[in-house]
Amino acid sequence: MALNSLWARITKIDRLLMLLLIMLAVASLWLSLGRAVGRSVLIYEGETLAFTAPLSQDRHIELQGPLGVTQVEISAGKLRIISSPCQRKICIGMGEIHRSGDLLACVPNRVVVRIEGEEGDYDLLSR
Amino acid sequence: MISSVDEQQSLEKTRQRVFMALFIALAIGLHTFEALLPNPLPWFRIGLANILALTALSIYGLRAMWVLSLSRIFIGSLLIGNLFGPGFLLSLCGGVGACLLMSGGALLLQRGIGLVGLSILGASGHVCGQLFIASLVVVQHQSIWLLLPAFLLFALVSGVLNGLAADLLVDYLLEHPAFAACRKGFGYHHAKG
Repeated sequence: MALNSLWARITKIDRLLMLLLIMLAVASLWLSLGRAVGRSVLIYEGETLAFTAPLSQDRHIELQGPLGVTQVEISAGKLRIISSPCQRKICIGMGEIHRSGDLLACVPNRVVVRIEGEEGDYDLLSR
Repeated sequence: MISSVDEQQSLEKTRQRVFMALFIALAIGLHTFEALLPNPLPWFRIGLANILALTALSIYGLRAMWVLSLSRIFIGSLLIGNLFGPGFLLSLCGGVGACLLMSGGALLLQRGIGLVGLSILGASGHVCGQLFIASLVVVQHQSIWLLLPAFLLFALVSGVLNGLAADLLVDYLLEHPAFAACRKGFGYHHAKG
């Protein structure tokens, strides 16, 4: 089956739609990467907000969870989890975050750290 | 043997029912087969069952496509064993999203669009439907939409492949005398005779 005959089965509008889809994928990629750098860090132990800290100051934080202590470090404007008592260490493997809306979590130890951004940056707005 | 127009019509209706049953069975087979395939990327399904949805759309029309997709989702879930579970919910929203976009494309563009175009509409609709319900129910966080670019590109590739397969299938089926009364609804028709 020649490739040409397959290409001939795709109508002009089909090709237009393919192009639109590629453009949509690129646009959504660009949007997701272009998010603003965050300002402050929100730290949750379980369901409650334990405390917040600015992203600009270097800091070493220890968080208590059901499994033990998770250590989080803010340095050079980036946040990362250094150690955690979980089994798989996925949270450590996630690396550094610094953009607003970014999130690191150790699910077994119920620790969530999130970066919050400017005033105009909100995840959910209800009126 | 067929003496009146009425008999011919009821014969065609019966044929449609029989073939739709076969198409649905095939779609269910493909759906469950795909669910069993080992996959390094979970949720990135090729969606082979959509080939049958496109075939139903092309030969029998919009309603048949909806019937096929919904039946495939419900019965497939029943067979896999997660009916009304979260996996089923994802599948259902994906399927409805796909059918909505395919219906929109079919109604708005009619003969101008081909099965490949309809297929990528269906694939994109499926992706968006799944991300939508996942953001609401499963993950409950809007950050799931960050996966959209990867999903859309995958939808493009799988959509084109499924569309071509469906186009080939429809052409092949319409050569058979059992489909003599049917016409290919979308895309380029290859002059046969």
